[in-house]
This record gives sequence, structure tokens and C-alpha cells, in this order.
Amino acid sequence: MQTRIRKSMIGAAFGFAIALISGGFAGILAGLVAGLINGYVVPEAEPLADKRRAIVQGLTVALVGSVLTILGIVLRNVVIDPIIGVPLNLIGVAIAAVGAVLLCVLVSVVMCVVRTEPPARERIGMAIVVGIILVTYPWLDQFLNLRFMNEVIPVLVFLLMALGLNIVVGYAGLLDLGYAAFFAIGAYAAAMVSSPHFGLSLSFWLAIWVAAAVAAIFGLILGSPTLPLRGDYLAIVTLGFGEIVPIAIKNLDNVSLSLWNYPLFVDVDLTGGTKGINPINRPWLPIIGEFSPSNPIPWYFLILGIMLISIFFISRLRNSRLGRAWTALREDELAAGAMGINTVNVKLLAFAIGATFSGLAGAFYGAYISAIFPESFRFDVSVMLLCMVILGGLGNMSGVILGGIIIQFADRLFLPQMSTVVQKLIVASGNESLRDINFASDFRLLLFGLTLVLMMVLRPQGLVPSNGSARVLPVAAGEARHD
Amino acid sequence: MTNILETRGLTKRFGGLTAVDSVDFSVATGSITSLIGPNGAGKTTFFNTVTGLYTPTSGTIAFAGRSLVGLKPHEVTAAGIGRTFQNIRLFGNMTAVENVMVGMHSRMHANVLGILAHSARVQHEEATARAKAHALLDAVGLPAQRADDLSKNLPYGDQRRLEIARALATDPELLLLDEPTAGMNPQETAELTQLIRRIRDERAITILLIEHDMKLVMEISESITVLDRGAKIAAGLPHEIRSNEQVIEAYLGRGAASMAHAHARNGGEPT
Repeated sequence: MQTRIRKSMIGAAFGFAIALISGGFAGILAGLVAGLINGYVVPEAEPLADKRRAIVQGLTVALVGSVLTILGIVLRNVVIDPIIGVPLNLIGVAIAAVGAVLLCVLVSVVMCVVRTEPPARERIGMAIVVGIILVTYPWLDQFLNLRFMNEVIPVLVFLLMALGLNIVVGYAGLLDLGYAAFFAIGAYAAAMVSSPHFGLSLSFWLAIWVAAAVAAIFGLILGSPTLPLRGDYLAIVTLGFGEIVPIAIKNLDNVSLSLWNYPLFVDVDLTGGTKGINPINRPWLPIIGEFSPSNPIPWYFLILGIMLISIFFISRLRNSRLGRAWTALREDELAAGAMGINTVNVKLLAFAIGATFSGLAGAFYGAYISAIFPESFRFDVSVMLLCMVILGGLGNMSGVILGGIIIQFADRLFLPQMSTVVQKLIVASGNESLRDINFASDFRLLLFGLTLVLMMVLRPQGLVPSNGSARVLPVAAGEARHD
Repeated sequence: MTNILETRGLTKRFGGLTAVDSVDFSVATGSITSLIGPNGAGKTTFFNTVTGLYTPTSGTIAFAGRSLVGLKPHEVTAAGIGRTFQNIRLFGNMTAVENVMVGMHSRMHANVLGILAHSARVQHEEATARAKAHALLDAVGLPAQRADDLSKNLPYGDQRRLEIARALATDPELLLLDEPTAGMNPQETAELTQLIRRIRDERAITILLIEHDMKLVMEISESITVLDRGAKIAAGLPHEIRSNEQVIEAYLGRGAASMAHAHARNGGEPT
């Protein structure tokens, strides 16, 4: 009973934070999140086989979750909002609170009951619950007037990249600090063939494959000089690549090439330089027509589809001859070679396949904002992706997704929202000297750094470690095993 | 009798240090052969040179009539040499079964496209490999309920057995065992001796052993080669090695040979 309540605090804390930070009807979403987290975490710690007891379990965790969520709703909508000049709307508060409780109870109880099923049916049941939430989310967002959708889509793009990076860093143990380069390469490859830039203007559905293929080829090219390197040395070289690619892209706007004084081409604008490439073709589908920038729903389902297919194929790779070879390589490269694994090929495949997913993400991203600039692919993208992978748990897809969701939403949604609220509170308090502090931009990197340091010290295996085993960064592991 | 492995003038230098010094060495097909010598004699370097971890400075290595010089470790494994390591080198965060399945890598054919398509052939290969891995774990005597444990969580003796199972999974004709009984108690050592013999008898795999446990070496070997400071100082049948003065000197130091002889006459063994 005590663990049940203690574990319920995890989801409750998320519910409280979301309700407090986002305000408005986001409290209802907060209830849903609290229910979902608790419905997963608590049965994990306290598995039950009996349905009736599972319902009681679900109600208990929902109670803890909703109490704190309602506290968040009240604190935000009744206490804070009037101070920062938002009129108090008691009916709205009541609706948000009731909605939050209903969703929290529904999701918690369903999850707890699903978890009593035998493993195969349990997995299907959880997939259905998560599937319903994912499919209905765009309309929930509209209905609650949350306007999160424009942030949810880039979050999914980053999650897709994190899954690709996880192949390289998590599975094969190759610490890649320049992974954003492949995002850039994929985005530019797609943009070049799918825009008026070269007059090619291919359809998005073709361009995305071009992007994946080009990214994979660059994965091989950038991977091959790093083959003899390990751990920290590999990290430094890939860091270099991550810097070179955006700079090269910035400068490839005026390319001349001649062969023995015979000019092949003169002054060709390959990448658009700092201006980037703009506009890029948007996808087109029958019935839906061309995806429009004002309607995020088709984009949401497109990236969600790409992501689910990627997860499906990555898990096939993971549980195969190749996936085992990657893990063996990470665990002990020398022994892997002695067991018949061609370490060169296997490393190159990790780089190429990892890059492919980044290429897909790049192609989607370019089409989504219909323009790309070299500035979008700087070093912080690589660092952010690495944070996502480490926070969740190296080598474990569900961990990477969880870590990614937390970092991305914190960065894109909650930090800016929090900063707005805090700023308004400061203004309301009349303290002029603190006026110029902007949480989101000033403390963003500090918070990342802090998260990384805390994770490394307290839980180096990540939030959801794979196989319940400790798995740490290749640099640390490499040092321990240097011989 | 033919030799499955033959080296001629095999030399490996690291800078000024000659770790293996023009060694002529042969392993008869189907035999259990031991390589012994005091610490630092170059036994493990010899293994590493044969298996492609090091490139020989000079000399030849012939395995089943084919030269191994210049081959990468994975190519040597594919050619039919499996090995274990002196300091256990399992893939710690993989389960016992997975470790064994990694050993089958060079005997499996699944490629990226087949894996993504989950083709019938890949599924069949995967299922066969898994079954074979369980059979190998059983053959080396690893308890079935340990099969899905992470290898780093296995008891020491089981880790040694698992390493042998993993090496057997490479489907070798020649198995190199680098101190397989290091750190084991007498009972475990006896069981392992049985296992080594069984592997040779039932699977027709030739065995080359580095070992410090002289009792085991004398009991199991059909032929023994002795290295000292990188050079071969003796080769022959166990009883020949037992009474070889150079060998006794190498182990016990100059002048010890006569003492040891006196001791041997009284029924002792030079260890």
C-alpha cells in the first residue's frame, strides 16, 4: 500500500506540474498524463493478478494523481491567474477539475486492469490504450484549446532522430556527438530534389527516400574514418563532423569545379548558403490534398506513422543477428571479432542505419516548415538528442522515447510557458530589477546540464534501463575496459 | 596423422621485445595438445597471433592447409578456429543464450533486408540458432534456468563454461582454450577436464590448451609443447616433457633440474 502511494507520486507530480504551468484546460490533459504514468508505474512495482484488486489499485493511484492535479489546477487558475491578469473563471476551473479526475480515473483503472492480463494480451492492451490516446490527441488538443500541436510535431521529429541515434550510441556503443549532421544532410537532400531550387520539384513521397538514402551514404562516408577509433577519440571526431557539415552547407552556395582547367560547373548554388532553401514542396495525398501549414493534423499523423514504422523496423533489427552483433561490439569489440563478427561492416551498418532515420526526420522537417537553414542543425541539436537518449536509458527504445518526451516537452512547451508566467508574476509584484530575466532562454542550457549531471551521478543507466541492467555511456565503459 | 595447425618460424615482436620467437609448432588433427610455459612465456601472444588479433612479424601459420597470415580475427573464426580468453571476455549485458548466438554469427546469413522483411528464411535461421544455443548450453553443463540470465550475473564457473559454449557455437574444427580452469576448485577442474575430453570425442574437434594446472595437462594431453621466453624449448609426449631438464629449468630456475630429478625419483611432480 505504501509503495502504491509512493509510486503514485510520480504521475501526480507530472499532473501537478503540467496543470500549474500550462493553465487553462491543460489541467484535463494533466489528469490524463498522471493517470497514464501511474497506471504504468504502479502495477510495474506491485503486479496484481486479480481484476477486482486491480480496480482498487487503479482507483487508489487515480486518487493520488487527481488530488495533486486538482491542486495544480486550483493554484494556477484561482491563485496565480488573477495576479497575472487573467480573469477568474470558476466554471472553467470546475470543468477542468472534473475532466481531469474523470480522465485520470478512467486511464488509471484501465491500465491497472490491462496489466493483470498475461504478457501477450497485456502488450496488446497497452498498445490499444496508448494508440487511442495518440489517435484522439489532435482533437483533444483542439477541443481543449491547448494549441500544443505545433510543438508536438517537432517533438516527434526529435524522437525519431533519438531512436536513430540510439542505434549508434545505445546498441553499437559508438558515441556520436555529431549526429545532427545527418539530420541536416537528409533535410538538404530532400530540399534539393523537392523544391524549385534545382527545378526538380519531386514529390515529398519520393524525396523522403532520397533523403534516407543520401543520409545512409553519408553515414558510411563519415563512419569510415572513425573505424579504428573508440570511446573519447570517436566522440571528438564525430563532434568535428557535426561542426563541419553545417559550415560546409553554409558555404556551398557558390561552387565551381574544374577538371584540368576544364570547368565542369561554375558558380552553382548548391545549398542556398545562409538563406537556405525555400520553399520546399509539401506532401500531397488524395482526399486530404496538399498538407497545409495551418492544419497540423495531417502532419501529426504523417510523422507519427513514420515513427511507428521506424520503431517496428528498429525492433526487428534489434532482435536479429545484426542487433546482437551491435551489442557484442559495444560490450567487447575484441571478443566480438574473435566470435566471427566483422566489426568494420557492423560499425558501418550502425552508422548508416542510424543516419537513415535522421534522414527521414530531416526530410519531414524540411517539408513541414517548408524551408531549411544551416542554423537549424547546430551542435545543440546533437547534444539535445544525446540528452534524450541518456535520460531515458541507453539502448532501450521505450526509455529513449520517455526521456525524449520529457526533455522535448520541457524545452519546447513547459519552460517557455513557465517563463511567461514567472515574468508576469514578477511584473505584478512590481520588482523592476528582475524584469529582464527570461527563464526559457537564460536557464535552458543550465537545466540541460544539470539534468545530465544528476542523471550521470544518480542513475547512469537511465530512467528505463534495458534488460534491467546498468548500461553506461561508451566513454565511461571504454575507460573501464581499456587494455 | 595430419596436422590441422602448423606454424613455421612464427615470430611476434613488440618493439624490442620478442614475445614469440621463431616457433615451429604443430597440432595433430583430432588431438588434445597443450601449450605450457612459465608466466610471460608468450603463450597467449602465440594464441593471439594465430587467431589474427596480432599480425606475425614473420613466419607462417597454416590451418587445414590454408595460410592464416594477414587474416582478420573474424576471418580466422570463419575458417574454423574458435577460442576462449584467459580473462573471461563474455558480453556481460547479454544473456547466456545471446552470448552463444553471437558465436554463431559467421555461420548465419541474415542480412539487413532479410531482417527488415522478417523473411521465412531469417525466422527459420533465428529459431534454429536459438535451439542450437540452448543445446550447447546444455552440452557444457550450464543449468537451463540460467539461460536467460545476463552473463555478468552468472557464477564464475558458469561463465567459464559459457565461454566454451560460445566458442563451440562458432562451429570450429580447432578450439583454443586459454587457461579454462584458472580460478576453479579441484572438483570444477575435474568436471571441465571431462568436458574438454567429451568435446574432442563427441564433436571431433581438435583442442589446443594453454594451462597452468599440470595435473590436468599431464592427464589430458596427447602432446605438449613448452614455451619459454617466446621460444619453443621442448615438445613431446607428457612423460617426455615431465622429465625434460630444460623444462624443469624453465619452471624452477637453473640448477633446479638435478634437485627436481631427485624429487621425481621419489614420486613427485615438477609443477
